[in-house]
Amino acid sequence: MRHLATWAILGLTLTFLIGPFLIIILAGASDTEYLAFPPQGLTLGWYFKVFTVESFRASFVLSMALAVFGTLAALLLGVPAAYALNRYDLPGAETLRTVVAAPIIVPGIIVGLALLRYMVVPTGVTVTAALFMAHTALVLPYAVRVVSSSMNNLRADMEEAAVLLGCTRLQAFLKVVLPNIRGGVLAAFILGFVTSFNQVPVSLFLSGPGVRTLPIDMLAYMEITFDPSVAALSALLAFMSLAIVFAAERLLGFSRYV
Amino acid sequence: MFRNTREGLALALPAAIFSTLLFLVPVGILLSEAFRGSAGGWSVQGYIDFFSEPLNRTVFLRTLKLGLLVAGTAAVIGYAAAFCIVNLGPKTRGKVFGMVVLPLMISPVARTYAWIVILGRTGIVNEAITGLGLSDTPLRLLFTETAVFLGLLQLFLPLMIISLVSAMENIPRDVIPAARVLGASWIEVFFKVILPLTKEGLVIGGTLVFTGALTAYITPAILGGSKVLMLETLLYQRVNVSNDFVSASVIAMILIVMSFSANLLLKRIATARS
Repeated sequence: MRHLATWAILGLTLTFLIGPFLIIILAGASDTEYLAFPPQGLTLGWYFKVFTVESFRASFVLSMALAVFGTLAALLLGVPAAYALNRYDLPGAETLRTVVAAPIIVPGIIVGLALLRYMVVPTGVTVTAALFMAHTALVLPYAVRVVSSSMNNLRADMEEAAVLLGCTRLQAFLKVVLPNIRGGVLAAFILGFVTSFNQVPVSLFLSGPGVRTLPIDMLAYMEITFDPSVAALSALLAFMSLAIVFAAERLLGFSRYV
Repeated sequence: MFRNTREGLALALPAAIFSTLLFLVPVGILLSEAFRGSAGGWSVQGYIDFFSEPLNRTVFLRTLKLGLLVAGTAAVIGYAAAFCIVNLGPKTRGKVFGMVVLPLMISPVARTYAWIVILGRTGIVNEAITGLGLSDTPLRLLFTETAVFLGLLQLFLPLMIISLVSAMENIPRDVIPAARVLGASWIEVFFKVILPLTKEGLVIGGTLVFTGALTAYITPAILGGSKVLMLETLLYQRVNVSNDFVSASVIAMILIVMSFSANLLLKRIATARS
């Protein structure tokens, strides 16, 4: 009896959380010209059509580039910062931590608007550059947090030993610290990539002619068209995220870090 | 711990400077905009004007109401689901927990779009209603508060379940059976044992869900449209439709104050624990 109740509750909750994806997958395979569920007939046509839409291709490339390079830039800034906050007795460490973590607390839409008004407009920086910086700033808190927590588990005396044995500090970092926090750095990369790729509010105001991230492009597309292609594209993106997360979990036990 | 402070600062400062220039400064200027009087100097006229408009008040209250409603509902479902998950065997527990976390990794656009398929004019619910002859014409289910509520709940429920599961894992194993043996009803067990022991998890989950719902853009944009505006979608309209940057700045301030206070609360709880 207890068993039945347990599974009824879990079944309902999981249906509510996961059911919509199954619906999207099927809706994207509907052979109607408009969005319909349950589909009357099945076709993979919309799944293929997605790849031929020019704007989707362009915005996919932009979103990919932002996610990859924005996250790499965030790691370049974040790994040294995490290292310094862990290993040095810094004055104002708490302030530094807060400043670096600030982007996570401020709602994205405000950041996007502020950057547009006070950076793009007055300085003439391109929208793409502003997007890149905004995505870097957005991922930075995650990079610092995840890398910090994996550095916490690493004892400082290992590096000190390496230095005593003749390594320079940089060599000690590269040969001792980095190999040991590799998992954390990779986890930070994946988390950053997914966050950046799925990000909407920050990019909302930062778009120009021909410059749109994929989620923004999808929002624009669904305002004018009601065909199932957005459903198909949503399903494909969901599969992409799942594949990345599964691969990460298999390779390095991703969930330990998040 | 290394002593060379200059070296440490050199490593930490690039990130801090980047974050300051790209984040704190522009956002700070934006927030100050609403305090700038039309004749120069400082004034709070922007705020007075904003709240004197009935539409703005409605949107503000609706955002608060939906945020609280989503957080409250997530807490009720979250407790039931977390209690079940914690009592599963270790293997199934991992799998079920994974399925709860999974949706967080998927694009919110995709997650929200599903509700158009479900609630749209030719969606499942309407097909069922017209199919069963309950109504001749499809009902308007999209662009309602209910639609936004469902979308937000689906988006943020996992955060509540995760927080409550980790809080419940810390309840000593025998406490609940002991309370039962001593004659407590399930309701008493919940209010006198489970709730006090998981209070922190509830507050953490609640804050995450509440701030998430306040600052979500996609869900109110897709499922609410201009009929059910929330603060974020109102901000977007004020900027893109009416070029009204003072209102935008006021809304930005409201959003930041709300999410900052929620975060302060979180931090206080975290430090109180350690």
